[in-house]
Amino acid sequence: MELYLYIALFAPLVGSLYAALFGASPKSYHTGLIASGLLFTSLVSSAILLSYVMGGHTVHVELMTWMATGDLYIPFGFVVDQVSVVMMMVVTIVSTVVHVYSIGYMDHDKGFNRFFSYLSAFVFSMMVLVMSDNFAGLFIGWEGVGLCSWLLIGFWYHKESATWAANEAFIMNRIADLGMLIGIFLVYWNIGSLQYDVVFAEIHNLDQKVITWIGIFLFIGAMGKSAQFPLHPWLADAMEGPTPVSALIHAATMVTAGVYLVIRANPIYSEIPDVGYFIASLGAFVAMFAATMALVNRDMKRIIAYSTLSQLGYMFVAAGLGAYWVALFHLMAHAFFKALLFLGAGNVMHAMSDELDPVKMGGLYKVMKGTAILMILASVALAGIWPFAGFFSKDKILEVAFSSEHYILWGTLWITAGLTAFYSFRLIMLAFFGEERYKQYGFHPHEAYRFMLVVMSPLALLAVIAGWFEHDFVRLVTTLLPGFEFHTHHVELMLIGVTSLIAVGGIVTAILMYRNGPLSTKWEEHFCYKVLINQYYIPKLYNEIFTKPYGALSRFAWKEIDIRIVDATVDMIANAIYKTGENTRDIQNGNLSTMLRWMVIGLVVLLALAVAFTVGYNAIGA
Amino acid sequence: MEITLTHYLVLSTILFAIGLVGIMRRKNLLMLFFATEILLNATNIGFAAISHYLGDLSGQMFAFFIIAIAASEVAIGLGLLIVWYKRTGKIDLDLMTSMRG
Amino acid sequence: MLDHILSILIFFPALAAMLGFVVAKDSIRAYGITVAAIEFVLSLWLWYAYDPMSSGMQFMESAPLIPAFGINYLLGIDGISLFIVILSTFFTLIGIASLTETRRVKDMIITLLFLEMTMVGVFAALDAIVFYVFWELSLVPMLYIIGAWGGPLRIYASVKFFLYTFTGSLVMLVGMLFMAYFYYQATGMWSFSILEWYRLILPENFQLWLFAAFFLGFAIKVPMFPFHTWLPYAHGQAPTIGSVILAAILLKMGTYAFVRFSLPLFPDASVFFMFPIAAIAIIMIIYTAMVAYAQEDIKQVVAYSSVSHMGVIILGTFALNVEGVSGSVFLMLAHGVVSGALFLLVGVIYDRRHTKLMSEFGGLASVMPRYATIFGIMMMASVGLPLTINFVGEFLSLLGFYKQSHTYTLIAGTAIIVGAIYMLAAYKKMFFGNVTNEENKKLKDVNKTELIGLVPLVILAIWLGVYPKPVLEPINNSVESVIQLMHDKAQSSEAKARIPNLSDAGAMKLHQEAH
Repeated sequence: MELYLYIALFAPLVGSLYAALFGASPKSYHTGLIASGLLFTSLVSSAILLSYVMGGHTVHVELMTWMATGDLYIPFGFVVDQVSVVMMMVVTIVSTVVHVYSIGYMDHDKGFNRFFSYLSAFVFSMMVLVMSDNFAGLFIGWEGVGLCSWLLIGFWYHKESATWAANEAFIMNRIADLGMLIGIFLVYWNIGSLQYDVVFAEIHNLDQKVITWIGIFLFIGAMGKSAQFPLHPWLADAMEGPTPVSALIHAATMVTAGVYLVIRANPIYSEIPDVGYFIASLGAFVAMFAATMALVNRDMKRIIAYSTLSQLGYMFVAAGLGAYWVALFHLMAHAFFKALLFLGAGNVMHAMSDELDPVKMGGLYKVMKGTAILMILASVALAGIWPFAGFFSKDKILEVAFSSEHYILWGTLWITAGLTAFYSFRLIMLAFFGEERYKQYGFHPHEAYRFMLVVMSPLALLAVIAGWFEHDFVRLVTTLLPGFEFHTHHVELMLIGVTSLIAVGGIVTAILMYRNGPLSTKWEEHFCYKVLINQYYIPKLYNEIFTKPYGALSRFAWKEIDIRIVDATVDMIANAIYKTGENTRDIQNGNLSTMLRWMVIGLVVLLALAVAFTVGYNAIGA
Repeated sequence: MEITLTHYLVLSTILFAIGLVGIMRRKNLLMLFFATEILLNATNIGFAAISHYLGDLSGQMFAFFIIAIAASEVAIGLGLLIVWYKRTGKIDLDLMTSMRG
Repeated sequence: MLDHILSILIFFPALAAMLGFVVAKDSIRAYGITVAAIEFVLSLWLWYAYDPMSSGMQFMESAPLIPAFGINYLLGIDGISLFIVILSTFFTLIGIASLTETRRVKDMIITLLFLEMTMVGVFAALDAIVFYVFWELSLVPMLYIIGAWGGPLRIYASVKFFLYTFTGSLVMLVGMLFMAYFYYQATGMWSFSILEWYRLILPENFQLWLFAAFFLGFAIKVPMFPFHTWLPYAHGQAPTIGSVILAAILLKMGTYAFVRFSLPLFPDASVFFMFPIAAIAIIMIIYTAMVAYAQEDIKQVVAYSSVSHMGVIILGTFALNVEGVSGSVFLMLAHGVVSGALFLLVGVIYDRRHTKLMSEFGGLASVMPRYATIFGIMMMASVGLPLTINFVGEFLSLLGFYKQSHTYTLIAGTAIIVGAIYMLAAYKKMFFGNVTNEENKKLKDVNKTELIGLVPLVILAIWLGVYPKPVLEPINNSVESVIQLMHDKAQSSEAKARIPNLSDAGAMKLHQEAH
């Protein structure tokens, strides 16, 4: 089985390096094909590992030592257990689909080979992240996906907005990574190891306060990757990257790394329910907060991005309340339908020559039937309608909240479920139905390549059926994750009913409101609209209170402090010495009588000193 | 009135002061030599007087040394002075500033 | 030959440089490369022959110089200095091989070989006077390189560089003399041998004063805030090769000296000054990173980033535990590789456009893709991405200091944020966007000569990031003995507590195994 583990892990790396060899050369299909083929190999290996793990085994290997000094010992160790194998499956399935899809999507792009190199490198990093058996290895993957995310967001590097967004994403993630790093330090100095098994076995021996700090700092790391408030703005801006990237990185895999971390570190978070409750509350807040921004946005990809943010909030609610398997379940289901949604959006973008405003679309159903059906499927799954995947996973989260008697959280999530359904179908209605407004803007939409649709279909299938395997899933992952005791059997059906009701309500409202196209522009004058379309003014605020002052302070530090104070002081000392020399050079004017005069003065001074010291010395001596 | 050590020392001091002032004030190189000689002889008087007072001959020995050194110094110094005079025609101190810093 | 390998390593380049005067101008380049290559191979041989399991000094040589005062020609290498020596020979080789300077090449190569002698000498010396001599001698070739091949302000920059570092060193010399005098008083014999000094336990107030004296010399060399202002001028005016050697090797002398002198000689003072120095290190990290962000000149960005990284090294050194000190020694190497490479890269673009202003560029990624890739890799290494060389050192340094203080490390950890900010901003200005400047449209990508220098550095930056063990292990063993020595010598209870006792831990492990 070790062999399959290594194949699953390193096949993407090989693909990446292969594509990198041709990085600067013009487009050649074989890079895309080989990278996709290798990813498929990785997928198959993961599947074999999955069946092996389902038999109740785990695979744990140690490749080699990475860092060893003092008492610190960090190996490159990898573990395939019930949790990581699920993640591996999710990552490889989505990335294989995205790779093949990208062959079509990036067809006309100059950077075709480069793109595949980055994309496969990302998959490799993600595999390291989920397969590592220690926190340091996790951090390698963590930063690796950050790097690939930076490369891919800024893929079209000639665009100012893209490079800006790439840097923003990297730096915001770095802020969170510091928290993560501190969490790792805390773990090391209190336990003496970074291996998961050692840490989780020892963690309950620690002081409650220390565990709390560990939990908080690790979660700060998770907040960055998973774009939780207040580190969320990068995710929406990250939509500057090519759409397959958004599907793979910023919807299905990388952004869920934070959730994965909390799930993986469940023995830590189980010890500190207060932090868990905070995580859950933040998650619920973000779920609602992001959903509201999605309501009014006029950028297709941003709407889906906010939706991702909102769903990540859901996952954190589950994870924070101790229902780790539920979080993982929603993570998996979400990966499938959200990736599908993004890829559909990619088709629409292509059709509309990169136009993203759904208001300028309308009636696309007629020309893009396949894409439309796939996107509707994904939206229904996202809205959580039975029997689609989203229903099973999202409903469970609401149940968890209710069962833990956190009714406010439940209420928030319940309302958000309605909002989710609403904004999803607002997008569908605006883009695919109603009047064909794109004609006014002179677009000539066309359906994407057939193979792109075909390759999306596995995701569609999974978006539909993934929820049906809930019981198998639970059996698999609860051998590692703690189970969750539901106390809601008496109201279960009622809860499902209420939740489904609001979801259907959201869909119906959206269909009714947007059946004739966009709302009147009068609404855009409204205060609420302005707040929401400006993302609660948070990006502006960050720009005003962080970015600009940092720049100003930096210039001040350089021009005023460094040059005017620090360096000037040094120069002043040097100048003082120099000036002293300059002023006293008259002594050496070469005139013998002046020099003799100075000599006499010196003599007198020395004599006086000698006398003074003798007298002084005698005085002390006496 | 008996002439005591004090008188000799006062004489030596006066001579030394004269020499010092001469060194500082005179611009003529020749005069400078005179002033130097006065300085040296002022110390010589001091040496001889104290030597006599203490009954120790080493002071007078030093005085002889100084006389010898002063003589050789004057010999070399005057030699240089003559060369200088031949070259420039002047022996004014203010004009000798080639060692200016 | 192995018995005298250190002497050979030191004086072979110097002798070769003397002979270089008679070599014909056309063949001086080949001559220089050959000499540097032989020297590099010799240093690799040194590594091969080095016993990584032993923590003490190896290849020791001793010859009396001034026996009356206990001044000996005493050389030796341990895990801490071994790799810096190799780094010095490596960079001299790379520097000469990828030299693009066209003016007075012969003088340049001879100067570089002399410089190599002084660098190897500093790191191999175990006698304080020999150390001091090489330490000061290293200023002369660098003064010449900056002064003769530098930019318009070169005289000012080189004089500033020389006088500033020289002043600091003089104070250090006084410290050394006093140290030897103290040794004389304690034992009745003169000795300038560092190893002899190690055995001496100084009273705490003496330690404080001596620490301060040594500190000034080292701090200016590192350079630590607020003594850093000579560095931007030196880098700004120095030719590429000068900046490369200065950043990669010469700055390491200061941090190396902290590990070699300050820690083991003055353990109590090290603990006493730990937090003030950590505060300075934090200022270096954050403040210079901000200054770097404000720069308009790419070379100044790299120069200030050096100071910022040196802050992390200092922090790791003063963690006073194995993790931190090993990390800081490793980071010295890492920073050498990365900053050296970055200066080479800046040189590449300067050779083409004769400007280093970032506003002159933009969109270079499409004109010079290979250049952009290498620059990108090195930038990521500088930012401290895992699996690059810098991360190992940075991680261990911060990890080490975390044992001493949570808050300080949390603040110092912002290095990973502020570092990313200035580097990414600079990269964006240089490489991203559209090519707006006409002159940039037909720039040539990196050529073979430049690749000779850059490719090994890229390989090194990744190789040692993925597999640091061959380097980290010898460092670790030697650092362990330094830490143990410090613990044994420490007098105050605070120092005893701050500096871990490794023999205890070892004893405990054995104890556990017995059960």
